[in-house]
Amino acid sequence: MKSIRTYLLLTLIAIITLVTFLSLLQGYKDSITEVQQLFDDRLQSMAAMISNANQDLHPHSAGTEKLSSTVFFQILTDDFSLLARSNNATTPLLSADNNVTAGFRDINFSGYRWRVYILKDDSLNRWIITGERSDISYILAEKVVTASIIPIVLAIPIAAFIIWIAIGVGLKPLRELTGQLNNKQADDLSPVVMANAPEELTSLVASTNALLQRLNDAFVREQQFSADAAHELRTPISILKVQLHNLQNNEHISDAALLPLASGIERMGQVIEQILSLYRYSPEQALIKQSEIDLSAIVQSIIAKDYEQIAIKQQKISLSGGEVCLIKGNQFALETLVQNLISNASKYTPQQGEIQVTSKHITTGVRLIVEDSGPGIPQEQYERVFERFYRVDSDRHNSGILGCGLGLAIVKHIVDLHKAKIILHPSTQLGGLKVMIDFPNK
Amino acid sequence: MLLNAVIIILREVIEASLIISLFLAFSQIFNNSRVWLLTGLFLGVISAAIYAVNIGVVSQWFDGVGQEVINAGIQIIIYLVLLTFLIIAMRPDSPLNKSLLTAMMMIGVIFATVREGSEIIIYIHGFVTVPELFQSVLLGSAIGAGIGISIGVCIYYILLNMPINISIRAGYVLTVLLAGSMISQTVQQLTQADWVISQYPIWDTSTWISEHSISGQLLYAVIGYEATPTAVQVMAYLSALFIIILFSGYSWNHNQRLNK
Repeated sequence: MKSIRTYLLLTLIAIITLVTFLSLLQGYKDSITEVQQLFDDRLQSMAAMISNANQDLHPHSAGTEKLSSTVFFQILTDDFSLLARSNNATTPLLSADNNVTAGFRDINFSGYRWRVYILKDDSLNRWIITGERSDISYILAEKVVTASIIPIVLAIPIAAFIIWIAIGVGLKPLRELTGQLNNKQADDLSPVVMANAPEELTSLVASTNALLQRLNDAFVREQQFSADAAHELRTPISILKVQLHNLQNNEHISDAALLPLASGIERMGQVIEQILSLYRYSPEQALIKQSEIDLSAIVQSIIAKDYEQIAIKQQKISLSGGEVCLIKGNQFALETLVQNLISNASKYTPQQGEIQVTSKHITTGVRLIVEDSGPGIPQEQYERVFERFYRVDSDRHNSGILGCGLGLAIVKHIVDLHKAKIILHPSTQLGGLKVMIDFPNK
Repeated sequence: MLLNAVIIILREVIEASLIISLFLAFSQIFNNSRVWLLTGLFLGVISAAIYAVNIGVVSQWFDGVGQEVINAGIQIIIYLVLLTFLIIAMRPDSPLNKSLLTAMMMIGVIFATVREGSEIIIYIHGFVTVPELFQSVLLGSAIGAGIGISIGVCIYYILLNMPINISIRAGYVLTVLLAGSMISQTVQQLTQADWVISQYPIWDTSTWISEHSISGQLLYAVIGYEATPTAVQVMAYLSALFIIILFSGYSWNHNQRLNK
């Protein structure tokens, strides 16, 4: 069913039309019979009047009574010779040949069909016939009856229009509810308020509000969890770092023995940060703080921030394009995205390798490309690298690299939130991996 | 006259209305576009008008029985369209089917509209010069068309609101019966044209359901009801049903086997 309004209108009109028209037809048949009966009664009365008015048993000298051409009369003797007649009935219409009986019958003469009434006047032993043209009386009867049908038939389109309006009014609360839900801001989980909601919608409004409430509770819990987890997990790690630093200053313990401990703590810290950022970007929350953002500016600031890490590995990083590339998005999420891409590139690119970042306009929006001269990713794993905690086969990578397999999962998550598209390619220019993200126009 | 007009217009409208509501319900259930309906109706109405205007010329064809022969031809085309429609609809998985189905539905609507539309135009036009009857004829036509279209709308929504497996079965039975009715009418037209030998009717049910009543016309449209059918007509009707059931059944079985 495409539209409740159309469905209701069409079925209602169809049912009204069917019921009305079928009963009209029955009414029409009955009325036509009634009117025909009326005409028959008239013929009968005319015959009786003629019988009373004309008692003459000799043929009428003038012989003709002028009547309209649609009615006639004849007075015949018992042996069917004419005593009197109207001008349009010249020959006797009854004869000894046909078995004459009193009453109504249909006959043909002078090119028409006639409804006639035959009266036997026993007191004067004569026959009186009155008749009326059937076609004329039929048209007359039909005119009388159809006059009452026309308004009903014409009323159907008017009824359709009124029903259309009425259904529209009836569905107004539903439209209002849909409007309220559609117009809700992404972060607005306040209950829907509908004054005088009709009975049919009360339970819908109640269950929608209950759902909104549950959603709201879930968000609050999640935010609380993120904040608590960040606090609870970061603190012990900071303490561990301090303790490690103290140990490093201890002359009795060799640096070589502390190295795995240091990298373990570093890695744990990273995993915790990544997990937290993955949970921080629920679709609703990311959309809340959307604004117009220059992607190139973000790229520049992240390169500046990470420059030290890149410089340690003596890698060469270049930014091409660099024009102002405005997109609609969440500043913090986009920073995380660029940060993850660049630090991934740096991580997996060997010493003195090369990284190239490009931000530029394309017809459908803005394109961000991060290429490196690292070992790249085998094409058959392109889909899997976006899975959480998935790590590319360590044979191909330096096993000393810190990472938890969440970086690209977070990137994909943020890309989806921004309705962007991410494509992985082998880099033809640098030989490593080429990550291409197309953001739609704002 | 009003009653005659109702019966004649109803007979024409209900047939087209049933075919269209069947196709529409099918489209709706399987989420196809409905552009074919508007295009089909538009082309059908224009063709019907052209056919009606040239009916004098057409009647002269085939030694003066052109109209009957062309009408019979159109009924056969509608039968073939319904047959092809069912055969394709039974194999929803094979490719190309969506466009072929749409084409079949459009052709069906065009020919149904030409056949029924031209009859309506010719009938009403015949009374333009008889002013005392024209109003009754128009009124009767409006009532007949109203009843016909309303029945189509009701059948459309009944098919849509039934559980899908029942609605598909009901649609199938209705399509098969409509197709049989087309062939029964073809034989009637060809008998009028003297192309098929006129015979004595093998039974007479006019005392139970007259062809000149509303119920008679409904049955005429749906199952090709004839109060006084000839042997040839009954044979043709049953053969038409047999062929359409055979082919659509074969198509269904074939599809089931492919799915296994």
